[in-house]
Amino acid sequence: MSTALGLAPGLAVREREEDREGTALEALACWAGRFTPQVSLAPPATLLLEVGGCLRLFGGLEPLAATALAGSREQGYAVAWAAAPTPLGASWLAWGGLDAARADPESCRAALAALPVSVPAWPAEVRERLAAYGIATLGDLRRLPGAGLRRRIGSAPVDEILRAWGEVPDPRPAFVFPEHFARRLELPARVERAEALAFAARRLFAALAGWLESRQRLLRSCRLGLFHDHGGATSLALRLAEPSADEGRLDRLLRERLARLELAAPVEALALEADDWISRPGVSGDLFARPPAGEGVFACLERLQGRLGDTAVRSLGLNPDYRPECAGRELPPGTRSAPVEGLAGARPLWLLPRPLSLEEGEGRPRWHGPLILLGQPERLESGWWDAGEAGAMGDTRRDYFVARNPRGQWLWVFRDGAGWSLQGIFG
Amino acid sequence: MNPVPQAATAGLGAVLERGDVWRGDALARLEQPGIATGHPGLDAELPGGGWPRGSLTELLCDFPGGGEITLLLPALASLSAAGGWIALVEPPWQPYAPAWAAAGVALERLVVVRAGREAAWCCEQLLLCGGFAGVLAWTGRDPDPRTLRRLQVAAQGRPAFAVLWRGAAAAAAPSPAPLRLILAPSPAGLSVRLLKRRGRAAGRCLTLDLPRPERRSRALARPPFPPAAPRSPGPRVVA
Repeated sequence: MSTALGLAPGLAVREREEDREGTALEALACWAGRFTPQVSLAPPATLLLEVGGCLRLFGGLEPLAATALAGSREQGYAVAWAAAPTPLGASWLAWGGLDAARADPESCRAALAALPVSVPAWPAEVRERLAAYGIATLGDLRRLPGAGLRRRIGSAPVDEILRAWGEVPDPRPAFVFPEHFARRLELPARVERAEALAFAARRLFAALAGWLESRQRLLRSCRLGLFHDHGGATSLALRLAEPSADEGRLDRLLRERLARLELAAPVEALALEADDWISRPGVSGDLFARPPAGEGVFACLERLQGRLGDTAVRSLGLNPDYRPECAGRELPPGTRSAPVEGLAGARPLWLLPRPLSLEEGEGRPRWHGPLILLGQPERLESGWWDAGEAGAMGDTRRDYFVARNPRGQWLWVFRDGAGWSLQGIFG
Repeated sequence: MNPVPQAATAGLGAVLERGDVWRGDALARLEQPGIATGHPGLDAELPGGGWPRGSLTELLCDFPGGGEITLLLPALASLSAAGGWIALVEPPWQPYAPAWAAAGVALERLVVVRAGREAAWCCEQLLLCGGFAGVLAWTGRDPDPRTLRRLQVAAQGRPAFAVLWRGAAAAAAPSPAPLRLILAPSPAGLSVRLLKRRGRAAGRCLTLDLPRPERRSRALARPPFPPAAPRSPGPRVVA
């Protein structure tokens, strides 16, 4: 270490933290779930993806490898890769720096035979013995008789050679995608500005998208926790108007929220947890593929909700209740409510949030002039079941009239025990 | 004869098709056909034969309740029935769901946005996304000319029906919206005056007879009974 520092004085030295490496490998495995459901970990730094069943979906090995490499480089990892018919063979070719695919067994064996003996991570004494015997490549090792080799260097290296060549099966434990997604990411430096967090959160969103793809789920809402250096935490809830697995949408939503967020203290870690999801419904393809209408609508509504708040953007729904204040309710946009039968009488297009009490003159109510009452009164008497409940309307007994004032406005007024009130305006 | 006049006429015809140039005695022809208003008298006076798509429409109304929304309801119902989305941005009161459903608007495709001071920004975003068939916006304070220009640019070229509601005092101020109407309740119905349109200057006011909840002649002659009255039949009075 002192020699190294003497040669390069500007060297930055960090301690190796194995558990964080393991966490990072698991996050990368979650991200890799978008390519194949069969992922296997080979710690400390190797990830195995079984892609035989997915080649047709991705259009071949080359496009799949290109996408996987581009994605992992985007997350900040330097990647060496290889593809081979056996997992151990692929690992060794990758460690040897092949960076190519050897899909058929013959070319894979030829490539393995050319690898030096130092590539598989065998113990030092095995390597010394092989050097003493003058064996330089794996091909040379393969040609030697098995029984004698086992006595001299042990069974483990010989078994690995057989597995790499594909003569002995090599089952690997599959990586189990967790049931609940909760990932934590330590930031390399303390972040003071909220906008810079969006870049760091992209890694978490990539892992989340891969996890959703592997479990065939669509996300409705998730929570991003920001951990400050003094020990406190802030939580941002991100809610999607329409269940989706698109990390780009989550990224845009987060940027909208971060643009308005003031950080109380510098942030040193992020944690992402998926709160609410639904199973992905199977959709059969259309023969003449048509893009769904209104697809841009939900993305736009999500953006408005991100800026104004969730309750600011709402659709309307019907409630089977005679009391006008209770007959309508607010629902998330796009939700369908069951139709309600039996609505009779004239109903106004606008309802005041709270009935406005009107003054009376000569026995008639007045609102910007004396009101002329038209037609027959309609009595609504309902709601005995709510009486006494906090926040509920309770029993109401009102006579409703359609009225017109000298200005020409059409109003819906009612009279109850407390006098005249204005309930709605006919648009 | 030189062939120049022929080419010039063909060029003029193409220019007249654009929609923002028109002859002085005719209405402009718009690229997209207008949405039928449901009132033939009004359709005849509007360029394009109905409410315009792809540009801002200003409706100036001081006293709500005379039928200004009922005027738009046939068009909104037809847009909703065709699968389009309608957005109400910062409406003055709460929309009453049963009445809107009875008018033919699908409630699951009706969105109410309570935007507060960001009403103009919300309206612009809804127009830009292109998925909304109708956007009705009430801005709390009267919007300044720059905001109006941005809304007109956002509506340009999209297939949405964009309506901005303002007070009648805004009639004196210029605006980039191509269609401006002044609505006022009148004894015979709703009076519509075309303040600005792409075409010849409008002459007289139109008075439209809109469906109202009750007949105007059915006024009660006496004050009604108080609610505590016993079960006697109500007065049947037709004035």
